[in-house]
Amino acid sequence: MPDYSTIGKSIQRIDGIDKVLGKSQYIADIDLPGTLCLKVLRSDVAHALVKKIDVSEVERIPGVVRIFTHVDIPGINGYGIIVKDQPALTDKVRFKGDAIALVAAENEEIAKRALKLIKVDFEKLPPIYDVWTALKEDAPAIHSRGNILTVSKIKKGDAEAVLNQAEVVVSRSYTTQRVEHCYIETEGGVAYIENGILVIKVSTQNPHYDRRDVARVLGLPMNKVRVIQATTGGGFGGKLDISVQCFLGLAAIKLGRPVRMVYDRQESFVATGKRHPFFIDYTTAANKEGKLLAVKVKIVGDTGAYASYGPATLVRAAVHATGPYEVLNVDIDALCVYTNNPISGAMRGFGTPQMAFACESQMDLLAEALGISPVEMRRRNILQQGSITATGQKMNKSVGIGKTLEAAWEKALQVMPGLGDERR
Amino acid sequence: MLDCKLYFQPESLTVALDLLAKAEKRLLPLAGGTDIVPAMSKNKLNVAGLVDLSKIQELHQIKIEGNEISLGSLCTFQEIETSHLIRTKVPLLADAAGLVGSPQIRNAGTVGGNIANASPAADTVTALIALDADVRLRSTAYARTMSLKELLCGAGKTRILPQEIITEITFKILQPGSKGGFIKLGRRKALAIARMNMALIFSVTEGRINFARVGLGAVGPNPCRSNALENTLIGQEPSDSLVEDFVMEAEREVARMLGSRPSAAYKCEAVKGIARDILSSLFSSSEMVVE
Amino acid sequence: MAEFHLEMKVNGKPIVLDVDPGLRLLDVLRDILHLTGTKEGCGEGECGACSVILNGKLVDSCLVLAPQANGQEVITIEGIAQNGELDSLQKAFLEAGAVQCGYCTPGMILAAKVLLDHNSTPSRLEISKSISGNICRCTGYTKIIQAVEIAASRIATKEGADHA
Ligand code: FES
Ligand code: FES
Repeated sequence: MPDYSTIGKSIQRIDGIDKVLGKSQYIADIDLPGTLCLKVLRSDVAHALVKKIDVSEVERIPGVVRIFTHVDIPGINGYGIIVKDQPALTDKVRFKGDAIALVAAENEEIAKRALKLIKVDFEKLPPIYDVWTALKEDAPAIHSRGNILTVSKIKKGDAEAVLNQAEVVVSRSYTTQRVEHCYIETEGGVAYIENGILVIKVSTQNPHYDRRDVARVLGLPMNKVRVIQATTGGGFGGKLDISVQCFLGLAAIKLGRPVRMVYDRQESFVATGKRHPFFIDYTTAANKEGKLLAVKVKIVGDTGAYASYGPATLVRAAVHATGPYEVLNVDIDALCVYTNNPISGAMRGFGTPQMAFACESQMDLLAEALGISPVEMRRRNILQQGSITATGQKMNKSVGIGKTLEAAWEKALQVMPGLGDERR
Repeated sequence: MLDCKLYFQPESLTVALDLLAKAEKRLLPLAGGTDIVPAMSKNKLNVAGLVDLSKIQELHQIKIEGNEISLGSLCTFQEIETSHLIRTKVPLLADAAGLVGSPQIRNAGTVGGNIANASPAADTVTALIALDADVRLRSTAYARTMSLKELLCGAGKTRILPQEIITEITFKILQPGSKGGFIKLGRRKALAIARMNMALIFSVTEGRINFARVGLGAVGPNPCRSNALENTLIGQEPSDSLVEDFVMEAEREVARMLGSRPSAAYKCEAVKGIARDILSSLFSSSEMVVE
Repeated sequence: MAEFHLEMKVNGKPIVLDVDPGLRLLDVLRDILHLTGTKEGCGEGECGACSVILNGKLVDSCLVLAPQANGQEVITIEGIAQNGELDSLQKAFLEAGAVQCGYCTPGMILAAKVLLDHNSTPSRLEISKSISGNICRCTGYTKIIQAVEIAASRIATKEGADHA
C-alpha cells in the first residue's frame, strides 16, 4: 500500500485539544451580551384544536418582550425533513408537548414565569395513543391526509404459495419500544442578525436542511439565512430534526436582538424525536435442511404526531426485514402511521435494529424447530457473492457478512467457553 | 436560579438550633444537598430558606460510645463506606453506603439526609433498620431519641419537628462473629434508585442461627424489618434448603406487603433473586463477618 | 434578597463574591466565573457532566449550592493543565480516542483524576467504579478506560523514575 499521509493512520481529532481542556464552545457556553431568553409553551394535552391564546396578562410582566403564536409565522408554517407537516407554532395540537407559544424575555426566570400565565383554550379531540386505533377507518384524522403516512412494499416471488406448502413455518409477533437518544448535550441555539443576514448557531446534525426549513417558515430567501453548527454534544440521529431553529429565527428577525434558547433535559425528552416503536408480524418458511424459502412481514411503525424521518425509517425497515439472509420469496408491507404519541424519527440504525430483533428471533426459533444450531441455521442462509437480496440486488462484489458471522462465533466461543457444545 | 431567600451557614449546633427555633417561616436544615437541590430546581420544595449544617464539625464523627456505635448525621456515604470502624464492625452498613448513587453522590450525600428525606428506597436506611438504629434529635430546648422505625412515617415523611436537627444515629455493636450483608437491585449498577434492597444480619451458635434481623427496602412506604423472614432463620441450621425456605418466605412476605399494587408481580419474583443471592453468599463466604 | 458572601479557591485562585444563595456551584462557575468547561447535562445528579473536584472529592456541581463551597477549594477542567502543558489524563484521552462529542470529557477527566491522585495503579474495576457516576453517550467507555490506563501507567513510570 502506498504511504498516505492520512489514510491508514491514527489521526488526532482536530477539536480534541479544546475538548480535553474544556475550551470548546457548545451552545450553552456562548456568551452573547444582550441576549434574550426564549421559552416555549408546550401543550399538556395530546390532541386538540387551539381555540384561543390569551397573553394579555403576560405581556404586562416587566421583562417580557414578546409572545409569539402561530399567527406570527411569516412564511409557511410547516417544516420537516421529508414531509413538511410540523408547524413551528401550532393551532392544532397533535401530541403532549406540541409548541403553542414562544416567549421572549430578558431572562430565564421571567420567561418561565410568563409561560405559566399564558391561557390557552382547547377544543379537545379524542387522542390516539396506539397504531391500531389510528388505523381504524373511523379513527379521527390527526393530519388532513389521514393517519397512514406511507406504505412501503417489497414483493418477490410468491411468498403466500410457498408458505402454504413449506415443511417448517414459524409465525410470531414482535413489538419494540420507543427509545430516547439522550445525547448528553440537550438541544440549544443562539441567533442574531449580522449584516442583514439571520445567523443561527445551533446544536444540530443537519445545518443545510435546517437552513431550508428556517427560510421556509420565516418566508426568507435562502441567502438571508445562515446556519452554523456549534460544537455538538451528541446527536445519534435525534439532532437531524428541527428543534430550536425556527423559534430562534422568528424571535431574532422580529425583535432584532440576539436570542438564546437551551432545552432542559425534560424538554428534550418531551419535544424531540425518538426511535420508532415497531409492531411486527413475521412469518418465515424453511425446508428441512434449514434453507429459508419465504418470509411474509408486516411492519407498523408509530411515527407519532409528525413524520420526521418516519417514511425513510419504514423503507429501511422493509429493506432490512430479511436480515443478512437470502430469501427467494418475499412479501413485506411497512406502514408508517401517525398517532398522538411523541414524534419518532431517525436514531442509530434507522429501523434496522427493530427488524434485526424480529428476524434473528425467527432464525433462532427455526433452528430450534429444525434441531440445528442457531449458528448453522445462519450459515446456511447468509448472503454471499452471487446472492440476490429481497429487493433484487445481486451481490456481485465483497460480501463480508459470512466472515463477520464466523469471527463473531469464534469470539463468542472465546468469551463463553462451552457455548453450543451440544450442537454446533 | 433556585428560589432561596434565606441561607444560613452556622458553625455550631447551638446557632443552627437557634435559627430553627426563632425562624418565623419554615427553614430546612441542609446536609449534603443531593436531594434538596434537585427538588428545589423542580420547584418541589416549599421553604423560606435553608440552614446549611456542613460547617458544624461535631456532626461529622463516627465513634464508639459504650456498647454503641454513633454516626454523626453529617457523615457522608463515602466516609461511612471507607471508615475502618464501620467496615470491621458493621460491614453491611459500609456496603449499603457504598451502593448509594454514584461516587459524586456518595461524596456529598449524608446519612442524616438519607433519613430525613425518607425515601422508600433509601439504601442506608434499610441497613440501619436492620440494625435497629435510634435517631437522636436536638432542639434548643431538649434532646430526644426515637427509634428509626418510629421516626419514619410514610414515603417522604418523618416525625422530625421543624425546630429539630438529627445529630446522631446510634445502634448496638453487633456480636463479634455475626455476619451481615446488604444487597440492592437497581436498573443499573451506578446511580440507580433501588427497585428493592435487603439487609441481613445473623449469628450462629452451636450450628444454629440464634439471632437474625432482616430489613427490606422499597417494598413499602419506608424500609422495615420483616419478622416473618427473621423467624424463618431463627433456630435453623444454615443449609441450602434453608436458603430455599427463606426465598419462598421472601416471596410471600413481599406479596403480603404489596398486595395488589402493580409492582407486586415484578417484586415478588425479583425478591427471590436477591434473597437467594444474599443468604447463600453469606452462608458460603468467610467475609462480612463482624470483628 | 440577602446575598451570601462566598469565599473559595477555584483552580488555585482565591475568589470572593457576593452571590444569590439560590445559585448552584455550577451556575457560579459557568455564568459568573465563565468557566464553561463544566457542563450541565441533566441538572439532577444523573450524568456527571458537571463534575468538579471539591476539597479533593468529586461532586456534581449541579447538586451543590454555591454557599456550600464556602471556604473550600474547587478544581475544574480548566485548572488541571499546568503551565500550558496538558495533564497526563488529557493527553491520554486524546491518544486513546476517548473523546468524541467531548461533552462528558471534562467530568470524566476529573473523575479519573481523583482516582489517580490516590491510586496510580488502579485495576479496571477501580477505573470503572471511579467513572460510574459519569455518563458518556458516545464512546461506550472502552476507550475512556483505556485512556485512564495509559495515563496511570505513565504516572507510575514517572513516579518510578522520580524514586530512582
Ligand atoms: S448536570 Fe449535574 S449530574 Fe448531570
Ligand atoms: S464523548 Fe459524547 S458523551 Fe462522551
